[in-house]
Amino acid sequence: MADGKMQKVKNFFNDVSEHWSTPAEGRYVPYREYKDIFIAVGSNYAGSKMLEYLYFGAGCFLMMYHYRLPYLTFAIIGLINMPLNYLWSMIGWYINDNLGFLEKKKERALYAFYFSMIVLGLVLILAPVSLLFDQNGAFVTFMNGLEGVNCASAFKIFGTHILWNGWAGSRNIFWRKKLLPKFGRYKYYLYCDFFPKCVMVCLLGWLPLTQADIPDVVERVWKANLAFAVYSIFAFGNSLEACAQNISPNTHERVLVRTYPIKLSHLAHSILALVLPVIIGKLPNKWEDINLFRWVIPIAFCSFAFLTMIFAGRIKERIPQPPLEKKVTIGFWDGMFGVMRNKYKWIQTVVGLLDSLGNGMLAFTTILYLYTFRLSGLLYSLIVALVSFAGTPPDFFTPYFMKRFSYKQIMIFYQFSRALGNGIIVASLLLFRNKVVLCGSICVIVLILMEMCKTVPTSVGHDMDIRINDYQMYLSGERLESFSGVFGWFTGPITSFVGLIIPLLLLEHGFNSNWDVLYVDASRLYIIIIPILIDTLGYLLMSIPYFFWDYDDDKQNKVMAVLRRREEVTSKQEESGVKLNG
Amino acid sequence: MAEKKKKTKNNLVDQSVYDSYKDAIPEDQIWTFQVEGLQKPLIRKSPDNAPTLKVAITVVLAIAVFISIYFSFYILHNDPFKYTTLENGKTELTRFSNPGEIYELRIDYLVTDVISESYIEKNDAGESVRHIRYSLKTDESTPIEEIHEYAFNCDERIRRLEIGANVTSIDDKAFYSCYALQEIRVDKENPNYRDIDGVLYSKDGTRLICYPIDHDAYLREKYGYEEQYWPTENWKKTGEDKYNEYYTKAYEEQINTYVVPSTVKEIGPLAMNYAELFTIYLPEGLEKLDTMAIFRNWHLERVDTYTGDYKGETQAAEKFIPDPAKVKASLPDSLTYIGSDCFNSAIEMDYIYIPANVTFIGHHAFWGAARKENDGLIGLYEIHAALDETSFKAQVDEGDQWTGQYDNGLLPKNVPVLYGEARAK
Repeated sequence: MADGKMQKVKNFFNDVSEHWSTPAEGRYVPYREYKDIFIAVGSNYAGSKMLEYLYFGAGCFLMMYHYRLPYLTFAIIGLINMPLNYLWSMIGWYINDNLGFLEKKKERALYAFYFSMIVLGLVLILAPVSLLFDQNGAFVTFMNGLEGVNCASAFKIFGTHILWNGWAGSRNIFWRKKLLPKFGRYKYYLYCDFFPKCVMVCLLGWLPLTQADIPDVVERVWKANLAFAVYSIFAFGNSLEACAQNISPNTHERVLVRTYPIKLSHLAHSILALVLPVIIGKLPNKWEDINLFRWVIPIAFCSFAFLTMIFAGRIKERIPQPPLEKKVTIGFWDGMFGVMRNKYKWIQTVVGLLDSLGNGMLAFTTILYLYTFRLSGLLYSLIVALVSFAGTPPDFFTPYFMKRFSYKQIMIFYQFSRALGNGIIVASLLLFRNKVVLCGSICVIVLILMEMCKTVPTSVGHDMDIRINDYQMYLSGERLESFSGVFGWFTGPITSFVGLIIPLLLLEHGFNSNWDVLYVDASRLYIIIIPILIDTLGYLLMSIPYFFWDYDDDKQNKVMAVLRRREEVTSKQEESGVKLNG
Repeated sequence: MAEKKKKTKNNLVDQSVYDSYKDAIPEDQIWTFQVEGLQKPLIRKSPDNAPTLKVAITVVLAIAVFISIYFSFYILHNDPFKYTTLENGKTELTRFSNPGEIYELRIDYLVTDVISESYIEKNDAGESVRHIRYSLKTDESTPIEEIHEYAFNCDERIRRLEIGANVTSIDDKAFYSCYALQEIRVDKENPNYRDIDGVLYSKDGTRLICYPIDHDAYLREKYGYEEQYWPTENWKKTGEDKYNEYYTKAYEEQINTYVVPSTVKEIGPLAMNYAELFTIYLPEGLEKLDTMAIFRNWHLERVDTYTGDYKGETQAAEKFIPDPAKVKASLPDSLTYIGSDCFNSAIEMDYIYIPANVTFIGHHAFWGAARKENDGLIGLYEIHAALDETSFKAQVDEGDQWTGQYDNGLLPKNVPVLYGEARAK
């Protein structure tokens, strides 16, 4: 028995050594690339996780403790920006799903449009446009009645939105065209955004945007919005993981890559999640300390970003597709109709729509750890690490669960487990409201169990997304990932409205621009429970669409076979100079 | 069983599927080949009814977006005054949303209309600045009798509030986080409330309800100071004199010191939160310091107790400071209740004494009031209690983590309680 195991280990090492540089037959990824994935994805993931501390939303500590922006203002800004988003996304999808390769005439027209938007945006920000309106009229009075915004600042916010989109749009065409052929569709933007992103991350903590610098909340809001707009122009998403998840046309190999090097690469973030709170705990004002944003986050982010850039080039993209020059050109309506024919995208859309019931809720765990438990330093790290680590062991059994159960079963189980967990948390909050430690302990145990139940469905969810894109490629000849945003068009009007339910309810219970209200026991209870109950309802409803999921392994493999066949045939045609049909 | 195993294996090995399947896909049908059970590919071809679909999608989207934006703005837009008629027929001010530049407000009757008028004024630098002046139309047949919790939540502009004669109930959290609030004035005819020099009390003076967060700004104006002054930096560490050319003892007593009147039995929830106070004198006779009563008084150095009669001042030129001979360190012996988070963040204090009559201490009552710095511990790193440990445990209902903690290496350490202590001089 022991000999058998030893032999297996030996075989494994022999296999690794033999296929270190060249993959085994039927495989695409050599083991050396596993190592590169481990380091590159680890750094990219940890770096992108650092950015979760810096965003324009009520959950960001910089907003909470220093900028002190009203909670509802974020929703108002979203609404001001909403109508034009349809225009930007339409143009963006067209550019993105054609990978930036446009006809010369169209390209010039788009550049002209984007540059004029930049100019218009600047005019709206710099000029007192609101004075064109009757200052005592209904429009100005209405705008002045919005939380954290007045008529003058609303124009500046609108200008910021136009400036941002003009700037981002022109960059998108320019850099895609320049970098995509060399670096592939997933990671090209790291090469143009790395440096400015680092600069912006370093700047945000130092900009004079705090309550002390700008006592007027309206002025603070539009200036902070502008600063974060510039910051968010430059992306540093977890793109290498997306790249690595699509690293092989072999679905089994994809699961292996996802389960081992990708999952293990998250270790860097786990270590960071352990160390960072200890460092924060040493700051005089802990999470409320501005030095967190001036030194701790910038140093950590820049270090990981640097590592990411060193290893990014070593991960290859291997989506089966015709050569770039022979890529199918997608017209706007073709893209729209293409994604709308994909039944599985509709299922995901309905799930997302129901999930929006929880939009606007605060991170329950943050409230629990910081305001109920009053955790900081190592204890905070340990509990956060314990809860997040709880999800790691089940992940090693992901391939087993994916073989043993259908995706439909796993996802339905997931929704029910979330609803049950939330139910227990609400019960403990209501029953043991005065016993902070007991109530908190029950919540943490439930969170651990929920985290354990989440791991496999998360992997399944990723795989579902990838399979849906494979299926889309089969249907339309392109993955149409950007055009998938059309579903957001349909859900956007509903989610933006539904997403106001929680903020408005929380406002009734005192949650506005001062997070200290979470120290008020009665208010904290409502602020936690109301969103959890609404979220729970969402989870129960979200199980329903999954009953219609019927895309199994067999269909996926056949779809992949069609894609590979297309690649094979078109490559052959390319070599022999035959024109591509379709 | 064997068949099931084989099937599973086949599903995972793409190469074998591909090898067996690729011949079924003719070269000229690679873009149209339909996998069984799935839809047929449609590449660069629109559906037959594309024109109708295009129109339908565009129209539906336009309507959806318009409706969404209209209703979202509708519910987000705050009327400056939101009222509720309660079951008992009374009218409650539920929420005030400052439309821009309302700095002073009288709460007495239902406001029916807010009329704004813009005007231009030169600022100190000689620049023209546009302002808005508001005038309110009220319905005097509808008096405001109650003010809801969080009615003025986080308003950063209101400086002065006047409470009318009809207001009979004000929630303790009504003026939460009004950072600019300097004074609250109460109509003399009000049956339940009164103010003492801009601080809100119950009519009988037994309950302190709200010490406005920016009350020191009002006091500076009252005593003729143009700016806010601060003690010598790090005077505790360097041993330098605390007072300097600007921050004098008189300034500290007039602006950063508050003497709670001797009539007061209770300081209500959140009553003195965020106050810019360095010293608070509590009266002997005070029984209750409620939840978050002195929450986040970052600069508070001393809380002392005085004996004697002091009804509070109104417009007296001289500030009343208790006779040192009648002052003792820390909390009054009459105190029985210390609410949760009561002294949260009182990091500048260095002494606290729990008197023998205390029966309740809420959770985290002294949280964040002790810290380890390079040169040692600061704040309330020890808590002194009158009772011995056994009596204390038997008598006091202790909330979780009420003593607070400070960093001690990697793990925090609970602030120790020194039982059976005598009060410091």
